[in-house]
Amino acid sequence: MTSADVAVAAPGRSWLRSLRWLVGAGALVALYVHAWGDAKVAPLEFFRSFHNLVRIVQHMVPPDWGVLRSSIHAAILTFDTALLGTTAAFALSLLLTPLAARNITPHRTLYEASRALMGFLRTVPLWVSGLLFLVVVGPNAFAGVLALTFETVGVLAKLYAEAVEEMDMGPVDALRVSGAGRTQVFLHAVLPSVAPTFLGLVIYRMDSNVRAALVLSAFGAGGLGFQIFNSIELFQWAQLGTELLVLLVLVLLVERVSIIARARIS
Amino acid sequence: MLEVRGLQKRFGSREVLRGIDVSVRPGELTVVLGANGSGKSTLLRCAIRLLEPDDGSVALCGTDLLGVRGDALRQARRRAAMVFQSVLLVRRRSALENVAFGALGELPLRQSFSTRLFPNEIRARSLESLARVGLADRAGQRAATLSGGQAQRVAIARALCQQASVILADEPVASLDPKAADAVLSLLADVARNERLGVLVVLHQPELARRYADRLIGFLDGRIAFDRAPHAVDDAEIEMLYGDDDDER
Repeated sequence: MTSADVAVAAPGRSWLRSLRWLVGAGALVALYVHAWGDAKVAPLEFFRSFHNLVRIVQHMVPPDWGVLRSSIHAAILTFDTALLGTTAAFALSLLLTPLAARNITPHRTLYEASRALMGFLRTVPLWVSGLLFLVVVGPNAFAGVLALTFETVGVLAKLYAEAVEEMDMGPVDALRVSGAGRTQVFLHAVLPSVAPTFLGLVIYRMDSNVRAALVLSAFGAGGLGFQIFNSIELFQWAQLGTELLVLLVLVLLVERVSIIARARIS
Repeated sequence: MLEVRGLQKRFGSREVLRGIDVSVRPGELTVVLGANGSGKSTLLRCAIRLLEPDDGSVALCGTDLLGVRGDALRQARRRAAMVFQSVLLVRRRSALENVAFGALGELPLRQSFSTRLFPNEIRARSLESLARVGLADRAGQRAATLSGGQAQRVAIARALCQQASVILADEPVASLDPKAADAVLSLLADVARNERLGVLVVLHQPELARRYADRLIGFLDGRIAFDRAPHAVDDAEIEMLYGDDDDER
């Protein structure tokens, strides 16, 4: 192509480019307009009914301390749900990781299968599996434990496998050469190297699982979320005040402990 | 005890090993010299089958290493130990535990979940091996906090604890200061002679090679340029190995 051709072609191309840009921008605007209407967004309505929110908050004070005991019990149940779900998921993830990390997997088929399983577990939204398990095992916290376990395995095993894939393979090779078997290599070369990462991730996951357990309990899986849900349904604002305070303490406490524990590990 | 015959390995279109014959004999420290990229490390990795060679044979203590798989390969490999350039200790375990890991290959799984379950005989042997390399006082120290020279000596102790017949060392002194490098090489020479091990070391320092080797092998473009006792190799021959690529080094 000579320089004359370029001079002739260039204006045409820039015209095409601005057209494309316009179409793209138009599509984006249309997308937002549709979303706005679809979600029935009405900022004015929010401000007009703001006094309702203010009234609710006014009713929350003073909180009804009569439900303090039951709220704390419910908060502990929520914590227990998260604890058991996270722990079960941790154990299962440790079993899955040796299969799902490309650099130590015994076979490609096992790698693909475990990755597919983990992908599936991550795709099912927590509230869907939660509702399913409520039907399967009945309306109690155990349903929440199961739902949390399955989702957390999907997430944790994936993160674990990635941590293993990024680790220095030196010690692994060294032990493999010395005649150690797969499990021995995993126990003595892989685990010690990734242990801080693994622990940090599971503690972080525990922290977010407490919040997830709150949502699950609102669906009837027992716990603080269920009480909050009931108080709102029955307009018991003073009770809600107490429950929200307990909720705040639970979430902040778990977050605080999680931060300290992770700082200790690293 | 390690017999490599006609070993060939290519990466894509690049021929890295073009028919290599090497024998490692008991009681001998053999040093492989050669420029970067001449295939020295590839030889070591093929000899223990961390890499699959394209052609040739490797016999380790009488076992055809390329003809076995799975458990048989695992058992055969136990006769050889590797000491690498970057120290390959498990950093978060103690020096003594790292030495004991050398014995993993002979332990059944149920005894190997924790180093606490290791039989006494192996604990004793680990401590003995660690003492052999002069680091008994460091037994409880975390591997991550050892100096480079100490860590390489722990790796050698691990090889002793493994009761390997052959030690393959890939540039074991590359990142060490001269004094530590001397200590590591004299230790390797010492275990070769006194424990009757076959030791094959890839080195970059001709002067160290001359001082400690019983036999010198020169690597040039994936072939062996010479394989002789050190006094029979003159400096010009060694120079030639590093001839063309001064800029690379």
